[in-house]
Amino acid sequence: PVLPEGWSGERDFKAIEHLSHATDRNIEPVGPHFLAHARRKRHKRTFSEDDRI
Amino acid sequence: MSEEIDSAQRVAIGISFGNSYSSIAFTTSEGKAEVIANEEGDRQIPSILSYVDGEELQGTQAKAQFVRNAKNTVAYFRDFLGQEFKSIDPTPCHQSAHPVQHESTIAFKIRDTAEEAENTITVSEITTRHLKRLKNSASEYLGKKVNAAVITVPTNFSDAQKTALSKAAKEAGIEVLQFINEPVAAVLAYDARPEAKLADKIILVADLGGTRSDVAVIASRGGIYTILATVHDYEVSGFKLDQVLMDHFAKEYMKKHKSGGDPRENDRSSAKLKLESEAVKKALSIGTSANFSVESLANGLDFTATINRTRYDLLASKHFAAYARLVTHAVEKAQLDPLDISEIILAGGNSHTPKVASALRSAFPDSTTILAPSTSPTSINPSELSVRGAAIQASLIQRFELEDIEQSTHPMVTVTPHLSHAVGVLCISGEESSGVFHAIVDAETPLPVRRSAIIATPREGGDVLIKLCEGAGHIKVTKPEPKPKKEKEEKDSDDDDESEEEEEELREKTWKVGKVLAEAALKGVKKGAKVEVQISISASLDVNCIFREVGGKGGVRGLLAGPKLVQNGSA
Repeated sequence: PVLPEGWSGERDFKAIEHLSHATDRNIEPVGPHFLAHARRKRHKRTFSEDDRI
Repeated sequence: MSEEIDSAQRVAIGISFGNSYSSIAFTTSEGKAEVIANEEGDRQIPSILSYVDGEELQGTQAKAQFVRNAKNTVAYFRDFLGQEFKSIDPTPCHQSAHPVQHESTIAFKIRDTAEEAENTITVSEITTRHLKRLKNSASEYLGKKVNAAVITVPTNFSDAQKTALSKAAKEAGIEVLQFINEPVAAVLAYDARPEAKLADKIILVADLGGTRSDVAVIASRGGIYTILATVHDYEVSGFKLDQVLMDHFAKEYMKKHKSGGDPRENDRSSAKLKLESEAVKKALSIGTSANFSVESLANGLDFTATINRTRYDLLASKHFAAYARLVTHAVEKAQLDPLDISEIILAGGNSHTPKVASALRSAFPDSTTILAPSTSPTSINPSELSVRGAAIQASLIQRFELEDIEQSTHPMVTVTPHLSHAVGVLCISGEESSGVFHAIVDAETPLPVRRSAIIATPREGGDVLIKLCEGAGHIKVTKPEPKPKKEKEEKDSDDDDESEEEEEELREKTWKVGKVLAEAALKGVKKGAKVEVQISISASLDVNCIFREVGGKGGVRGLLAGPKLVQNGSA
């Protein structure tokens, strides 16, 4: 959409609402992408930290 | 053999251990999974053991003993492992050695030595002997001693059953690295192909076996799988299809030989009938007609007959419809619509039947891909899916320490928050003030997640407002203008009316825009420019987003904190 006139936000960004609560589910411990996820979680790394390694 | 196998000396394979058939596979140095044939040349090895004068027969050889030596033949025992006697259904064992209660476990009374005495062999000992044979076949093929495996199990296998299987495997000299769920193994087998593209999609796996059918609905998000719903059915099975053919040929036999009697009433005749009927069923999956031929079927009379596929499809139509119902029931259980399913993977031996695939085809919209030999040229052999998945998983983890594997599969790692709604942005639509929802991260995506997408901006450029929203999938049903009905039509039965109306309905998947999470302004966007949106959502529901014009500099960054009351923490 086009920016309406008079819109303002801090650094052009305005936070309005939080995300809805998530549901806890069990992911399947299978496949290369899960292993990458487990590695990040166990070492408490973020995506970008993981990319650098 | 030493107790703990050094992970460097591990030779791991994938094992799919079924009630009816088992198979073994390994991963080549190029990373391709290959199914191993045993000494008899079988890739689907019947899970059957038989003893003749103290000699142990397995696989196809043991299966042939159903006729002459049924009492000393053990089959369909996988689901008995780790179970109590009163909780099992012994029906599949009717034609072979019967399970009996033995202390807290289940056993078979068979003559497994050359002596004239019956021994009580527990189901775990039978499993050990079966796994040992599988291990030896794999070792001989690979020229290396196999000592570890990833084994597939049904999703409703209890911990007690897994423990029992693990113990039986250990007795057979196999270290179980991990148990993986059969449907997930099937998805992995497809995703591991080099040509496979990772996408966010909902996959349904229908594993159609001999004694049972299992259906699972799985969300695949960036190669990570979450099971949303499972359905197990012990009535809708391949045995029922065999029974259709058995009944058909038994009736034909009785018509031809008026005094021959019913071959189903005699144990030995019935066993012959069953073996040949299964062979005919398999032949009908490949060819359009098949021969049934049994020497001395009953009362010393030979019997031959032919059947074509159309006839079989007609005879078994009730069962094909039951398969379709079972699968749609699983979709309902996951609280989804057939339109939400992007792929159906058919696994298990009975998925070879072309009519099963076409029954599902008509129950699902055209947007759903059905991966079965008769509907897709790129499909993988349904019988080999789970074992291939197991082999791939085995190759991924065989260098890990057991402790590492255990820690990684711990609920601390696997229980993960999943997005309850899709998150996306509003894209341009016909009107400039409103927008169309464009999902960037789909619902049921495990967190944390990072996704980016490129969206179009208003044609004339200028200042653009980007709205970050939540969205929910919604099925839009459009009914065409009701035709003026004649009175005659109204007299039709209710059933007719309903089916007609359903055909007229036009169902499509649309998005309902939920709450707006954030707004961002991009100023001075060029004419026809595209905007790159990158969203990262952390496990605590913090949203980090970056909006940037493609090719442009700077862009807008924003951080949206998660809900204050985080009730469901990261574990």
